[in-house]
Amino acid sequence: MRPAAPLWVLLPALVLVPVLALLPGISHGGGWELVGQFAAAALRPSLDPLVLGSVLGGLAVTAGIALLGWAGSLALGLVLGIASSRVVWRSCCGSAAPAGWIRRLLALPRSIHELLWGLLLLQLVGLQPAVAVVAIAIPFGALVARVVSDLLDALPTANLEALRCGGAPAPAALLTALGPPLLPQVISYSGYRLECALRSATLLGVFGLGGLGTELRLTLQSLAFPELWTGLWLLLAVMLLLEALLGWLRRRWAMPARLGLRQRAVGRQGREMVAAGLVLLPLLGAVAWGLEVRPAALLQWQGLPPLGPADWGAVAALPWPLLIGNTLLLTLTAAALAVGLAPLLLLLVQPWPAGGWLVRGLWALGRLWPPPLTALLLLFVLQPGVLTGALALGFHNLGILGRLLLEASETSGVAEQQALGAAGTGPRLALLYGRFSGLARPYLAYGAYRADVILRESVVVGLVGATGLGSQLLEALSSFAGDQLLALVLAYALLTLLGEDLSDRARLWLLETPHGDGHPQEAGGTWR
Amino acid sequence: MESGGPAKEPPRTSPLTSLLTLQDITVRGRSQPRLDRVSLQLKPGERLALLGPSGAGKSTLLAVANGLLEPDQGQVLWQGEPRARGARARRRQQARIGTLWQDLRLIEELTVQQNLNAARLAAWGWPRALLNLLLPLDTSACAAVLQRLDLDPALLNQPVSALSGGQRQRVALARLLRQEPLLLLADEPLASLDPRLAADLLTLLLELASPPRALLLSLHRPDLLAGFDRVVGLRAGRLVFDQPSTSLHPAQLEELYAGSEEP
Repeated sequence: MRPAAPLWVLLPALVLVPVLALLPGISHGGGWELVGQFAAAALRPSLDPLVLGSVLGGLAVTAGIALLGWAGSLALGLVLGIASSRVVWRSCCGSAAPAGWIRRLLALPRSIHELLWGLLLLQLVGLQPAVAVVAIAIPFGALVARVVSDLLDALPTANLEALRCGGAPAPAALLTALGPPLLPQVISYSGYRLECALRSATLLGVFGLGGLGTELRLTLQSLAFPELWTGLWLLLAVMLLLEALLGWLRRRWAMPARLGLRQRAVGRQGREMVAAGLVLLPLLGAVAWGLEVRPAALLQWQGLPPLGPADWGAVAALPWPLLIGNTLLLTLTAAALAVGLAPLLLLLVQPWPAGGWLVRGLWALGRLWPPPLTALLLLFVLQPGVLTGALALGFHNLGILGRLLLEASETSGVAEQQALGAAGTGPRLALLYGRFSGLARPYLAYGAYRADVILRESVVVGLVGATGLGSQLLEALSSFAGDQLLALVLAYALLTLLGEDLSDRARLWLLETPHGDGHPQEAGGTWR
Repeated sequence: MESGGPAKEPPRTSPLTSLLTLQDITVRGRSQPRLDRVSLQLKPGERLALLGPSGAGKSTLLAVANGLLEPDQGQVLWQGEPRARGARARRRQQARIGTLWQDLRLIEELTVQQNLNAARLAAWGWPRALLNLLLPLDTSACAAVLQRLDLDPALLNQPVSALSGGQRQRVALARLLRQEPLLLLADEPLASLDPRLAADLLTLLLELASPPRALLLSLHRPDLLAGFDRVVGLRAGRLVFDQPSTSLHPAQLEELYAGSEEP
C-alpha cells in the first residue's frame, strides 16, 4: 500500500488534526473582541494625512533597506560564489579543494538568520540604518554565493574545455564559456531575492531596526488598528507591484521560473538587462544617501556593557533537549501547516472562480505579514507557546508556498485536468488527479527546502515565548548574557546546518525520478 | 458493457432518435468564426468521419461535442434534450462522452490501474477517489478492459511513465472503454502514428463503436474512410458536405482541400 503522488501533497495537511485538537486547550478567549476590531479595521484604514505621511516615510525606509541589502548581498554573493565554485578553482589552479573550504566557511553566516545578525550588530554599533542593510546582506550574500557556485558547477563544461585546449587563459575562458549561460539564471534568482529582502526588511523593522515594521508593531501594540491597516495595505500594494514587475521581467526576458517544471529558453534581451543594471546603480547611490547609510559608522563600535565572567555551568544547565525539541516541533508543525494547507485550500475553492482570488489575497497577506506580528495578534486569543509560534510561521510560509503552487499549477497538468473534466469529473477531483499528480514531487521538494528555511526563521517568533531556542536567544540578547548567546547561536547554526543537510537529502530523494523520463531535476539550486 | 454486462441504465433513446445533435453552432474566433452555423446529427451506432484541412474547425467541433467549449450561438442536444445547465447534470452527460486525445493525456505518475479508474471519477465520490490513490480498486474490471485490447493485465500496477508508446496508446483506449461512454470522440488519433499502427488503431476504434455506441473521429487521411458510415467535410468553419462515405466523390475531396498542402 503505497500512496500515489496526489495523496502525498495532501498528507502534510493531516497535521491539522492534532493542531485543531490542541487549539481549544491553549485559547484563553479573552481577546476575540480585539480580533474582531482588528478585522473590521481592514475595511476602514486611517486616511489621516499625518498617519499616511508617517507610513509612507516608513515604507520608503523599508524599501530602501531592502534594496541596499539586496544589492549588497548580490555583490557579496557573486564574488563569494565564484570563489567557492569548484570549476573555477579547477580551471585556475588545477585543484578544486579550496572551493570546498570556502563553502564550509560560508555555511556559518548562512545558517544564522538576518534577525540575529541585526540584533547582534545592533549591540555592537548602535542603531543606524546600515545595521539592517548589513544584516540582510550577510546571510543573503552567503545564500546567493551557494546558489551561484551550485549553478556554476552544474553548467556543462564542454565549451570551457574546448577554449582551454585552444590555449585561452583560464579567466577569459571561464567568462566566455560559463558567463552567458549563468547570467539569466542568476538574474532570475536575484529577482526572488529582492522579494525576500523586502519581507526581511519589514521583519527587521518589527524588531526596532527602522522602517515600516517598527510602526506596524507600535500600532498593533497600542491597538490602533485603522493606522495598522494603513501600513498593511500600502505594504501589500508595494509587494504585489514588485512581484508583478519581477514576474513581467522574467517573462519578458524568458527566465526560468522558480519551481520550474519546464526549462524555458535562455533570455536574449541583453541590452535591456544592461540598461536596467545601469539605472540601478545611481538609484542605489541615491537611496544610500537618502537613508544616511554611512559605512564608516559601522566601524565605530560602541562600548559594550561590562560582561561578567562567563558562567559555562549555567549555560550547560539550560534545558537543551527541551529547547531543541521545541524548536524542531515548531519547525515541523509550521512546515506541515504551510505545505499541506496550500493544496487543500486550492482544492476547496476550485469550483468557484472568486474563491481563487480569495486565496490569492489571503496568501499575499500571509507573505507580507511579518510572522512576529501574526504571533502578537494570536496572543490576543491564544496562550504563548510552540503552537502559537507555529501558526504564525505557518501562515507566513503558506503565503509563499501557495503562490509557488499556483504559479506552477498554471503550467503543469493542464491537459490532463481538461481531459478529466471533459469526461465529467468534478472540478476538485480533476485538479487533484490531473494537476497535483505531476506537481507532487517538485512541490514537496520545495516544501523540504522551505522547512529548512522555517527552522532558521523560528527565531523570529521567539518573542511569543516558550518556542525553544528562539525565545531563549532573544532573552539572552536582552539580558546581555554573552556566554549563553554564543552557545545558543552556535547551537542554532549547528541545528540549521543539520536541517539543511537533511532537507537536501529529502529533495534529492523526491526529485529522483523512478523511470528517468519524468520531470527534470534541474533548478535544484535556484530554489534557494 | 465491454466487460460483459450491458449498460446499467436502459437506453433512453430508440435507434431512430439522435444521440448528439448540433444545431446552428457558431464559435467565434479572432478574425473569422471557428465554426459557422454548423448543424450535425449523430445517431447511436453511427460512425462518422470528420474531414477538412488544418484550421477547418474539426478540433473546435469536437470540443463543443464533449462540452469543453460553449458555443457562442446554437444549441447542443444530448439524447434529444438540451445540454444541462447545472454543473452536476452537465457532468453526468459528459460522463457518457469519451474522448481519445491525440496526446493521450494519461497521468504519468499514476499506475495503469489508477489511470483506468480515473475514467470512473465522474461516478465516484471522494472516499473512493482517494482510496483509488492508495489501493488497487476494481481490479477485475480493469483487467478485463486491458485484455479486450490485448494488453497483459500485469501492466495494471505499472506506472504509465514506464510504458512504451504503443502500450500507452492502448491504455488510453482502455481508459476510454472503462468510462463506458455512449459517444466516442477522437481528435486526429492517427496523426502521429506509423501506417500500420494507424490502421490497427482505426480497426480497434471502429470495432469498439458498436451499437449503441457512436463514433465521431476527425481524420487527415481520406484513404481510411472505408469503415465509416458517414463523412462530414469542414472548411473554414463551415460544413461543406455531410453524406454516406460510399458516395463521396474524389472531386469533393479536391475541393475540400483546395489551396492547402494536405491530401
